[in-house]
Amino acid sequence: MSELLAIPALILLLTLGAGLVRVVIGPTPTDRLMAAQLTGTTGIATLLVLAPVLRAPALVDVALVFALLAAVAAAAFTRQRRSAEEP
Amino acid sequence: MSSPPSSVDRDGTQGRSPVLAALSVSVLTVLFAGLWLTLVGPTDPGSWIIGVPAVIAAVWARQRLAPAPGRGLSLLGALRFLPVFLIESFKGGIDVARRVLGTRLRVEPGLLTYRLSLDSRAARVFFVDLVSLLPGTLSADLQGDTLVVHALDCRVDAAPELLRLERHVARVFRERLPEQGAPTP
Amino acid sequence: MVALHWLAAALILAGLLFFVAGTVGLLRLPDALSRLHALTKADNLGLFLVALGLLVANPEPFFALKLLLIWLLVMAAAATGAHLIAKRAVRGDGEDAP
Repeated sequence: MSELLAIPALILLLTLGAGLVRVVIGPTPTDRLMAAQLTGTTGIATLLVLAPVLRAPALVDVALVFALLAAVAAAAFTRQRRSAEEP
Repeated sequence: MSSPPSSVDRDGTQGRSPVLAALSVSVLTVLFAGLWLTLVGPTDPGSWIIGVPAVIAAVWARQRLAPAPGRGLSLLGALRFLPVFLIESFKGGIDVARRVLGTRLRVEPGLLTYRLSLDSRAARVFFVDLVSLLPGTLSADLQGDTLVVHALDCRVDAAPELLRLERHVARVFRERLPEQGAPTP
Repeated sequence: MVALHWLAAALILAGLLFFVAGTVGLLRLPDALSRLHALTKADNLGLFLVALGLLVANPEPFFALKLLLIWLLVMAAAATGAHLIAKRAVRGDGEDAP
């Protein structure tokens, strides 16, 4: 069972990679900001699925830290431009 | 209206009995200790060497930073809202997946505005976040009392759904919404 | 036991479907805010199903608590992030102005 979870992990990474196409082609900064959302959720799912495959339960803790930082990352990304423009 | 629309009690500490304050500190301590246990797991009692100071620091920081909310939360309201939330967020995911995976995209995106009646900041933030997780709507901007909502399909009127959601949030946060016959356009 | 493994597999597969839907939406939808819908809602449900599947395969109370914590944090992050990104787009800061 555990080894079979490598397949969903691979599929998740593929969806993550395909989603990054949108980040690359844009066309608006809004599309690029979505990288924060995409890597947040899909990355966390990948880590959770990989934890039993690699027999590394610590990956669940890594996922937890990712989840904790996801909100901060989104806030930081969206702030950046505005504060750079204002002065 | 018997009572004036109360604003949020900013300093929050006034009028609270010491018993209640002690109770809230002990509840917080139990919560943070549970959180610590969740993080490190039950198998390592030595972790409490770091855990106990961390829990104390967390309780202290919570007491310092967050003023106690004016009315507190209604547990009953929250319990009644939980299944609604789970079902609705499920429907939100299924809805968007169906629209996107069909051979023809079924979307008619557009913006609409909604007047918020919720009063306290916490309730508003909670509502704004919920709107984004539920089917077809995404909260885009909040200016004063006006919430700009992006709808995936603006052929469906989202206002009744938002009103229903707002009533649930009001119940969780023990707020009384004004009885409005028709929401202002 | 075997039935539980099938249930876990089914839940994880269903979760994957929503992740795929999120990415398809991200690539297919016509405007940025609609793409944000797909990303926020579909990926959230996907994560919920994947986490539930992993929990069924490995039912331990503390694993469950940790997954619950992750799910709550991701929901808060997704909702907050979606709102902030949408607000930025609607207000037309930067190059987003229509």
